Amino acid sequence: MNDLELDVRPILRHGGEPFGAIMGAVSRLAKGQRLKLYATFKPEPLFHVMASQGFSNEASPLEDGEWMVIFTPVDGERVAVVESSPESPETWPDPAHYLDCTELDPPEPMVRILAQLEIMPEGEVLFALLAREPIFLFPELKLRGHAWVGNFDAAGEAYRLMVRAGGQK
Amino acid sequence: MPGASLSRWTLTYFACALLCLVGAEALMVMGFGFPGATIEAPETLILVHLVAIGWLSLLMCGALFQFVPVLVARPLLGDELPPVALAFILTGLVILLSGFAGMTGLVAVPAEAMPLGGLLLLLGFGTAILSLGRTLWAARPLTMPARFVVVGLAALAGTALFGESFALILSGLVGGEAALSLLLNGVPLHALLGLGGWLTFTAMGVSYRLLAMFMLAPETERFSTSVVLATGTLTLMLIAAATPFALAAESGLAGMLLAAAVTGLCALGVYGSDMLALYRQRKRRNIELNAVAAIGAFAALLAACLLLVFLLFSGSLPEHVGALTYLFAFGWLGGLGLAKLYKIVAFLTWLECFAPVLGKRQTPRVQDLVDERHAAPWFGVYYLAVGLGTLTLLVELPLVFRIVAGVQLFATLAIIRHLYRARELLNVPPDLRRGFARPHPFWPQPIARKLP
Repeated sequence: MNDLELDVRPILRHGGEPFGAIMGAVSRLAKGQRLKLYATFKPEPLFHVMASQGFSNEASPLEDGEWMVIFTPVDGERVAVVESSPESPETWPDPAHYLDCTELDPPEPMVRILAQLEIMPEGEVLFALLAREPIFLFPELKLRGHAWVGNFDAAGEAYRLMVRAGGQK
Repeated sequence: MPGASLSRWTLTYFACALLCLVGAEALMVMGFGFPGATIEAPETLILVHLVAIGWLSLLMCGALFQFVPVLVARPLLGDELPPVALAFILTGLVILLSGFAGMTGLVAVPAEAMPLGGLLLLLGFGTAILSLGRTLWAARPLTMPARFVVVGLAALAGTALFGESFALILSGLVGGEAALSLLLNGVPLHALLGLGGWLTFTAMGVSYRLLAMFMLAPETERFSTSVVLATGTLTLMLIAAATPFALAAESGLAGMLLAAAVTGLCALGVYGSDMLALYRQRKRRNIELNAVAAIGAFAALLAACLLLVFLLFSGSLPEHVGALTYLFAFGWLGGLGLAKLYKIVAFLTWLECFAPVLGKRQTPRVQDLVDERHAAPWFGVYYLAVGLGTLTLLVELPLVFRIVAGVQLFATLAIIRHLYRARELLNVPPDLRRGFARPHPFWPQPIARKLP
């Protein structure tokens, strides 16, 4: 059976996020078919996700620091559900809690977010909307072992933050 | 997305800065320097540099070590440098001031002390610029407030170089016609780059972000802000470009400075309207004391601009440049500094003491650390004293000025007492405070929890 080839280098060069394309390709794989992936860097975070899907990997460097990885399905191990991994926000479940902190002055958003995370089980996700980037919250999230992603909305007026509760340290 | 953490040395900078402020105000009460002495007298130079370097520059450096990482959302690069810079700046300042004292015969210090002090100051500020500059460089493209800081740091480098040149000429190590001409004509350039470029321009950039943050005003980048950045930068470039005229004693110097005054006033005018917009667009109806007290600083800036225009048109700028500088340094820069310290000290202390347990147990709010009701009147007294002090300088009542300076000193000490109380958690109800270690007022302890 031919390998399914996917080249995400153009997406990466344009600053895009190739995860959707990769998961799309995975879902198109026939039983037993391998995925041959081309990327501009060694996609180590992906290895974990693919392992949780039941794929082993074999990575080989190309020229100019680029990489080709062959993902081979391990018989009987392939599972339908992607396990939530702190490193891969794409695998996180939908947020279970929402906090609107846009009207709160600093450091109140930080207090509310940390208080909410304190009562959340590991793996649950919190979505918070803030008036500005919570710079002082990030070191605290890191110290407590939570993973997070965030960015400004298109208008640049609100900061959207997703935090995945980690094992409390 | 690393975010920013606490700067360990910021409060040490603040403590040294406040010490210099109290020292300078005490000297004014004692009648040391202007207006008792002439504006060029070594005594006045001691006073001016104690304020400009000791109080305002240390305050600004300490604030920037904490604030630049917040502006660019990444940690400070070279975080071992702030204590080194502080040691260089303090030693350099002490040696420079004793060099000035040597000029008057107050103490027996060789004239070479001045260039040595200047060199140490260059090293100190150079170290600060290196640390802040690397952090900013790594964070390109920069946001608007960060660009103000970059221009301010460039002006700081220019100011320090000017200062060292003067010190070399004054001590007789460098001579010649051009050097003498620079000493005679270049002092306004040194002062303008320092007070206008380094301190004012940086404070303007910082205020855009700080005021928006604490009043919940929208932080969208306005076109007017880029106008302020452009006209302000042009002003500073005009001032720097006047250096060859000062060296050659050519008549173009006055023209260049007049052009800089026009662009500078434009920049300040647009900045004023931006600040007004920030206060109007704020989402918080009841604003905190730091934002209220900052209004006094903006009023002083406006008053200084009007006074400058008046003095320029009446042709009496040379006689009254002392009053103008006093209003600018103590009203605008000093007032803004004290107002923002009132928030920053409480905020940093709160973060230091309570961040590790947030969400895990009940903690005080930042506002619990301060007592605005009792602190507010002292800001009023401070601004009143500065206003009256300016008046007494303008109408030349040196003795009354000393009395008013005494009131200013008293208000300053009262504000410092409030900063100390916030730092020591003395305003926090005892039951909320129980179990928390109080931090040292200004000597940083090793950070207990290191980032992995």
